[in-house]
Amino acid sequence: MDAIILNDVYKKFRTYYGKSHTLKERVILRNRNPYEERWVLKGIDLRIREGEVVGLVGENGSGKSTLLKLMTRILYPDKGEIHVNGRVSSLIELGAGFHPDMTGRENIYTNASIFGLSRNEINKRIDSIIDFSELGYYIDNPVRYYSSGMYMRLAFSVAINVDADILLIDEILSVGDQNFQRKCISKLQEICKSGTTIVIVSHSLGQIEKLCSRSIWIDDGKIRMDGAPRDVHLYYQDFLGKKIIEARRMAESEKESAQQDQNNVAVSRNTSREAWVESVEMINRNGEVMSVFETGDKVTIRIRYSAVEPGLKAIVSVGVVREDGVHCFSTNTAIAKMHDLTLMKNGTIDFVIDNMNLLNGYYFLDVALSYPDGNRLYDYVSNASTFQMISRDGSTGLMRMEGHWSVD
Amino acid sequence: MIQSLKEIYSYKEMIRNMVRKDLRGRYKGSVLGFFWTILNPILQLLVYTFLFSVVLKTGIDKYYLFLFVALVPWIFFSSCLVGGSGIILGQKDLVKKIYFPIEVLPICHVTSNFINMLLSFIVIFAVVIISGSKITYAALYLPVVMIIEYIFALGVAYISSAITVYFRDMEQILGIAGMAWMYLTPVMYSVDMIPEEFYGVLTANPMSPIILAYRDVLYYGKVPEATGLLTSFLLGVIILVAGFALFNKLKRRFVEEL
Repeated sequence: MDAIILNDVYKKFRTYYGKSHTLKERVILRNRNPYEERWVLKGIDLRIREGEVVGLVGENGSGKSTLLKLMTRILYPDKGEIHVNGRVSSLIELGAGFHPDMTGRENIYTNASIFGLSRNEINKRIDSIIDFSELGYYIDNPVRYYSSGMYMRLAFSVAINVDADILLIDEILSVGDQNFQRKCISKLQEICKSGTTIVIVSHSLGQIEKLCSRSIWIDDGKIRMDGAPRDVHLYYQDFLGKKIIEARRMAESEKESAQQDQNNVAVSRNTSREAWVESVEMINRNGEVMSVFETGDKVTIRIRYSAVEPGLKAIVSVGVVREDGVHCFSTNTAIAKMHDLTLMKNGTIDFVIDNMNLLNGYYFLDVALSYPDGNRLYDYVSNASTFQMISRDGSTGLMRMEGHWSVD
Repeated sequence: MIQSLKEIYSYKEMIRNMVRKDLRGRYKGSVLGFFWTILNPILQLLVYTFLFSVVLKTGIDKYYLFLFVALVPWIFFSSCLVGGSGIILGQKDLVKKIYFPIEVLPICHVTSNFINMLLSFIVIFAVVIISGSKITYAALYLPVVMIIEYIFALGVAYISSAITVYFRDMEQILGIAGMAWMYLTPVMYSVDMIPEEFYGVLTANPMSPIILAYRDVLYYGKVPEATGLLTSFLLGVIILVAGFALFNKLKRRFVEEL
């Protein structure tokens, strides 16, 4: 049974150029359009089964929060259909309808009734709500005298104790202090197990991986990828990483061209014009060019080169440097005893790393082509590639050392 | 339609809580608190009594009572028509934050003002008795009249609240229109003071039979005229159904317009 069904859902927003609601402006501007239409969602097809715990990821402005609001039915789609089966509770904005002059207890009744609970249902839950909020005897004080932490705790307690069939959450797992947060997460995990359908929007991919069985990546109003959180997040992070690299490259090439205009000297490359590196790619086990890898992945560094004439002897080197300048690893074909490596006019050389054991962080890859004597360079490319490592097992440091514990 | 009525019914606890919150919140923070609900009409009545029995003498016997039994129901209606423009705008946070059938908000507003009117009627009954008039069996018609007014007022509130979200001038326009409407309704004067040629205005105005019915019951102590009331009732139902349908259509983009 599906809890949430979206069929080809489109949503547009109007961005007004200075919002006008008055008669004068309506009359004067009647035939002009003082707004711009922007499609935020462009055809979302989605089925979420009962009891599924789903994460929505995506950049700011990708439309994931809008999607969540459509599921809540706060917004209506411009095209397409949405079916939501069951009672929905949303942790989107907490404390809806709280009245500062009323006591915590009275506000529980009001707030819970806005979620559609009857008086009996609230009476049944009131103790567990108060219990969960940890407000103690403050519960009978007016909300006006609450600290913001107390206020949020009360609001969260109501929303989470509604026993909804569907729970929608938007970036709110930052309620209260550390202890309360931990309590919220464990309550959520409990709810996950109880068969409630949950949709979470979060920028914390770790949180989604911890709670969800499925992750959906929204990009530019469309579903870009849908699958197991680990897989989706790897591609999502790769996408983000490439964007950062692209932006950095743009900035650098601007800087370079400015410098070249000044003194007309190539500064980044140190090339002999006899042989040079054309491109460097990092490839995962599926043959895809990526910039993000998981610790332990098989990674192939593919170097494409050109030479003025075939038959040049050369040594090919690769080196990895961490973002903060720590030199992690370097090797070359000479170390591998490939003394007769001869270049063609155009060719590729792969360096295959069976287990990429570097841990979390950003790394730079340097590549060099040098003369067989190892003293002079044909070409040297620093920062030929930037990549990110993600490790999931929690170990820290620079790299993973394969090993195991043994206890008598 | 049936679906959404069912849903509204299932939110009755919310309506109850919102009405209570509104009634209690109205005078919260003031020293006399809820007592103002009663005190307010008493003081108003004192002002009218002084004005119309000492300063401005009208030819009508016990004019303060004549006026008051019509003014209280009018104030209720006006709070739904003019005050209705603020229903959605005033609950902006709620509407934008959380899902619930927004149709309940006008119900909350109208009901809360209706209860306020009922409390003012306690004062009216007291004054009727004190002033020496008798409460006759015609008072049994009072609930019917009130229900008819409630239906009409709710329909009007649906319309004014929904339109104001898109068109904020409505608030100002309604302020003026509400005042004009009051003078077109026999609240401050009696029907026989109207020149013959303007009689059409009176019959076309669905509020006239309602206001006159209140006066018949409480001031004259007689059974209200049925045909006028029936027309008002039918018109009220039509306005309510139309207003509800309009509201339903317009609510889809409330959140974006707020």
